[in-house]
Amino acid sequence: MSEFVMVVIGGLAFGAIYALAAIGIVVIHKATKTVNFAHGGFVLFGAFAAYLVVVKLQWTYWAAYVIVPLLIGGIATVIELTILRPLRKADLFTVITATIFIGIGLSEIYRLSYNTEILAMPNPIPGRPFLIGDVILTREQIWVVAGAMISCLIGVLVFSHASMGRSMRAMASNVRGATLCGYSVNRVYALAWFVGGALAGLAGVFAGPSKGVSPELAVSMITAGFVAAVIGGFDSLRGALLGGLLLGLAETFAAAYVSSAMKNAVSFLLLFVVLLWRPEGLFSEGKGRDV
Amino acid sequence: MSERVSERGVAMRRVIMPSVTVLLLTLAGTTLSNYWQYVFTISIGAMVSGAALIMLVGYARCITIASGAMMAIGAYASAIVVLRFGFSFPWALLVGTLFGALAGYVLAVPAVRFRSHNLAMVTLVFQAVTIILLREAKTLTGGAEGLNIPPPVLFGTVITSDLGNLLLAGVAAAAVILPITVLLYGPFGKNLRALAANEVGARAYGISPRDYLIAAFVVSSAAIAFAGALSAPRFRIIDPDSYGVLAAIFMLAYPIIGGMNSIWGGLLGGGVLRILPEVLRPLADYLELIFCALVVITVMYFPGGLVELVGKASRRLRGKGAAAGDESLPDSVEAAAAAAVATVNAGGVREAMMRAMPAARNTTTDVADAPALRIDGMSKSYGALQAVKNVSIEVATGRLHGLMGPNGAGKTTLFNMATGFTPADSGTVWSFGRDIGSVPVEQRLGLGIARTFQHVAIFPSLSCFDNTLIGLGRNGVGASMRRSLDAAHAGGSVAEERDAVMAALDAVGLKALAQQPAGSLSLGNQRRLEIARAIVSRPRIILLDEPVSGVGADEAGRLRELLLAINRELGVTMLVIEHNIGFLLSLCERLTVMSYGEIIAEGAPDEVVATQHVRSAYFGDKAAV
Repeated sequence: MSEFVMVVIGGLAFGAIYALAAIGIVVIHKATKTVNFAHGGFVLFGAFAAYLVVVKLQWTYWAAYVIVPLLIGGIATVIELTILRPLRKADLFTVITATIFIGIGLSEIYRLSYNTEILAMPNPIPGRPFLIGDVILTREQIWVVAGAMISCLIGVLVFSHASMGRSMRAMASNVRGATLCGYSVNRVYALAWFVGGALAGLAGVFAGPSKGVSPELAVSMITAGFVAAVIGGFDSLRGALLGGLLLGLAETFAAAYVSSAMKNAVSFLLLFVVLLWRPEGLFSEGKGRDV
Repeated sequence: MSERVSERGVAMRRVIMPSVTVLLLTLAGTTLSNYWQYVFTISIGAMVSGAALIMLVGYARCITIASGAMMAIGAYASAIVVLRFGFSFPWALLVGTLFGALAGYVLAVPAVRFRSHNLAMVTLVFQAVTIILLREAKTLTGGAEGLNIPPPVLFGTVITSDLGNLLLAGVAAAAVILPITVLLYGPFGKNLRALAANEVGARAYGISPRDYLIAAFVVSSAAIAFAGALSAPRFRIIDPDSYGVLAAIFMLAYPIIGGMNSIWGGLLGGGVLRILPEVLRPLADYLELIFCALVVITVMYFPGGLVELVGKASRRLRGKGAAAGDESLPDSVEAAAAAAVATVNAGGVREAMMRAMPAARNTTTDVADAPALRIDGMSKSYGALQAVKNVSIEVATGRLHGLMGPNGAGKTTLFNMATGFTPADSGTVWSFGRDIGSVPVEQRLGLGIARTFQHVAIFPSLSCFDNTLIGLGRNGVGASMRRSLDAAHAGGSVAEERDAVMAALDAVGLKALAQQPAGSLSLGNQRRLEIARAIVSRPRIILLDEPVSGVGADEAGRLRELLLAINRELGVTMLVIEHNIGFLLSLCERLTVMSYGEIIAEGAPDEVVATQHVRSAYFGDKAAV
């Protein structure tokens, strides 16, 4: 039983990070109709930036939680302004391929600047783990679950309530209508990329200590984020949040009770099952006619 | 006769050019050092992959990240049959290719339900799972350490020299590129492009998205697996990691950088990008980054890829005269169009069309005296909104029947149900006495039913000629592959098809624009093109959805004359949706009016528009008084 509880907590920790990445993907997709395959690269850059702040500069972890999202959000905005804005009239195919190669490019920049396989990061909250009966909870796990979940909720709230969120939702449902109402396409798109990038950067800060900083992180995070978004119906922030948690739990359970090879396959399995049986997602918000 | 022979020569020369180019490159390679012979061998393998990806990525516009897996499957399958069963190299190549085709099928059947990002993700899943399986199946594949591949054995001779390998690769690659070229240049490739440009329009003319995309996956996967099997012995050792996600993504760069609009882009992209690492040895570390930058720069500034750049450069080299000729083309084309429109010769339609397409439609399933179209008790609801309520319409054979109604009356919904695009909640559709409700959209053209679209559904990147050719039908995957073979040597029914297409284009006044891309036409001419595409197969009934919406009054008048002539000369029945009341009144013999999903009036046009129901539906209650 205690093992079961620990697996659940471990799964929630990963799941919360996946949810952060997924919400970033969904925010960008909702507002700009672009599926950002470079998102894994953003997460990797977030983890890398956190490494630089914490290990190289020896600043406190809190600085990373504040600086990194702003930095990655900025990078995402620059990419939107310089590469994707000129492609605004191009078809979906072109934009998707562009983001795929931007993502690979980001991974490559990381690989070239630190010619190592993997960088390890210190524990953000060292200290004695809590013991509740037989259950061992590290402070880091609690912090990741709580911190990432709170960040997710802030992201969801901003998108669904703040005026910034309203502009993005307006743009999502009707570009021309939103433009006529005085929203600027360029501003809203840049904003969406900033928010999406910032969430990805934050996911990187949370993921760095537990997963390590390596190009692998980019691939695993784009896959996990994408799968979580698909589970949630791709256009639902709440769905992406639940999808991330579900995926984290499924992976950890597969690793604990089946085999470690199964852990890699489980996200693919989930993706397939959801796409084939419920393409509208498991937690769909219900959609009207799409004509 | 001599004209026919030369036409045949032109067609065949066009199709063998890519293969011949590969052979010439091979020959050129034989004069180089051993090292460069090795580089050429590898690069020729990449050209095959590039050509294959033009079909899937360039023409069908499917983003695939499974190419690494396909290559691995070809390499491993051929290696295993050599190592375990002592197959000779040609048989091993064949086995590798077949496994690639099988893998393409297994991937495509679930994958082609998706488009764009979901499709990309499903291919990524396939890629990742394949590599995991190769790594886990240690007894067969050697796991992560991989397999040692012996040098190829051909007719009892072991080929170890770089020269021998180069010649082998060159000949084998040329042999595989030929059928790919045939498919890409012929109706199969054009139909794939049509599908990628406008899926709805393609389906209406018998192009089944599922069948075509599966075929594209199978053919291109087979060719990529072939390339994998071909180059495996050159690597000496194959392991799962060299066929990973990164390899797959960089293969995606071949068609993008080379240019996605013709097979030359794949050959150029594959060849150049595979040689680049050798040329840029000093920058080896930065290579992947350079690749990424090249792709981004290409999609941003040179969407036509290297092929377009090379084309532009060679045109510039040919001198200013040629360039000036190009510049003046649009003017002359416009003039030709104006002349053509002025001389629309309705009376000639019948003669030309009859001559071109003498065979009438199969009528064996007809019931005598049955109406061309009968819609019976049809309903459709979207949630709480009942778009169409129990509507019945009968369109008598040979008649011009109009359907009008205010916005939201349910006309297009009814149309989409009658043509099979939208499933009806209830009700039946009959055509010449046959219940066609369960006939798939793609097969309806074969029953003599054609349609046009409210938002023109032409294929912009194809020429007017090719657009109209698609209207001829016979667009099943198997049929279009056979027709591609015919087109390659200008044999079969190619000449008859061309005459029929030119007659239809002539009938609508677009003969002079036959070779222009459809996307460059004015809206009025695009509507004409849709009509040409609809009539070229000599259907018995055409359903036209707002044929004059968005065109000027003069053009509407000319289109009306055209439709009248087609009806009169060819005896084609028509059901026409329009908002333009004047147009309908002067065109139709019978008029049905819908409002809020129901029929509110039907009869002779003049009487119908005079009824109170209709006036109140259009002008409000006060106007009716």
